[in-house]
Amino acid sequence: MGMFIAQSVLHSLIAAIIVDRAIQIWGIGDPLVKQRFCLIVILFPIFSFHGYQMINPERGAISFRLNAIFDINRWLKLEFWNIPLGLLFILILSGTTLIFFFQEMIPILRHTFESKEHAFHEKKADDYPPISDALRGLSVEKPETFIIEDRDRILFSIMGERPAIFLSTGLVEILNSEEIVTAIAHEIAHIRRNKRPILVIVFILRVLMFFNPVVLLEFRRAVQEEEKICDDMAVSLTQKPHVLAETLRKLYYEVKDFNPLKNGNLSNLKDSLEEYSHNIHIMNRIIRLEQGSVSGNGGEWMKFILTLAVIVVINYFVV
Amino acid sequence: MRKNFLNFIFFGITITILITTLKVLNWLPTVFHEGAMRKYDNIEEVRVKLRIKEVYIPSYFPQSIKWPPSDIFAQAKPFTAIVMEFKNAAKGDTTLIISQVTAGSNFIYDRKIKMLQTRERINYPLKGRNASLEVGVCVNDEPCSRISWDEGEYRINAVMKSTPIDLLKIAESMLH
Repeated sequence: MGMFIAQSVLHSLIAAIIVDRAIQIWGIGDPLVKQRFCLIVILFPIFSFHGYQMINPERGAISFRLNAIFDINRWLKLEFWNIPLGLLFILILSGTTLIFFFQEMIPILRHTFESKEHAFHEKKADDYPPISDALRGLSVEKPETFIIEDRDRILFSIMGERPAIFLSTGLVEILNSEEIVTAIAHEIAHIRRNKRPILVIVFILRVLMFFNPVVLLEFRRAVQEEEKICDDMAVSLTQKPHVLAETLRKLYYEVKDFNPLKNGNLSNLKDSLEEYSHNIHIMNRIIRLEQGSVSGNGGEWMKFILTLAVIVVINYFVV
Repeated sequence: MRKNFLNFIFFGITITILITTLKVLNWLPTVFHEGAMRKYDNIEEVRVKLRIKEVYIPSYFPQSIKWPPSDIFAQAKPFTAIVMEFKNAAKGDTTLIISQVTAGSNFIYDRKIKMLQTRERINYPLKGRNASLEVGVCVNDEPCSRISWDEGEYRINAVMKSTPIDLLKIAESMLH
């Protein structure tokens, strides 16, 4: 078990480095392709250790380890000031497990239960002329859309058998009809994407890597790419990238100075960092839409297969 | 087209740099961790470099076993461990493994010859030592046997892809 955990972290780290370089060298900008590359980092370490052991049961033998490109045991057994590095490794994995539990698992479970309970005071968008008028221009199958009486800017969708989109009155007040259409088109894209079981399977498998800090970061990156994929789908439905960019600016982007020295305590620093990284991500999406670099055609399979092959071969010699 | 080709070259260079970095990182702990497990060319080198006085080597080998050992691995820290692998002269696969390890350490070297099923286990008097002899089956239903005993500060373990007759002769030849 220890070998599986240590090697899966190492394999994902090497996969992440190779994937990152591949994306940069080949200038891959299509979020669909980028997400596919991210999935290597998330899924590969789940199967790598046992897969390699099946191919070569002697992979754990000393003779193999001594000829390996990298053997993590050499580092884990090292001691500095009587503190084994292995302990530091365990601490990092424990920290990752806590972050995963509190920042991913609990919010998802909470969202699932809240969605089932439908604890909102909502009314159908058909009864709300600004929305029903705006949606008339969107020529796709639309899920049920509801309005929530709330002054905050809220927009989200629920999946499952009866998917639905929820908008708050506060949001409707600040968006014009074109912007409402693009916002809803983006949510429709999320609902369409979530109908594909592959994404659900990826998430379930990702849970198995709860301890892996590389997978934690890469999964967040894949989620960010998912937003860009949905942006592209929304643009293909509305043909109005600039309107979606403006909607994003109104909804999520807040201009604030980021200065870590001004933040008094660690909690504030953490919040500022999260806000800062959120703003950067939103800004990237806005710039992408404004520059018209929307694609979403997929492809690049040869580069993908080459990258995957390199990862598989190198990690075979990483024990 | 040319740019695409160059990008493949850049990717190749990146991979080369990554492998080199990993190799350097793999070597680095050996600087801090002298006496860690590594491969040796011969038994004499093990004796000299790790300052191990007594290395138990058989003086008898059946003709089927190739001398010298195909691989020798040894470490001095955190405990002494010497592993010698011998190949079958005809087939070329590892057929005998002898390990000499500080008694009490939890070191098992059984990846290459793993006894999957033990058919019989007896205490065997080996030149005055109380040895444990096991007879069983390894991968591909090959008969294999293992003998282990305490010799001074060490635990000696010999496992061989054969019936116990040859193994007992080999074990006896290790003791003076």
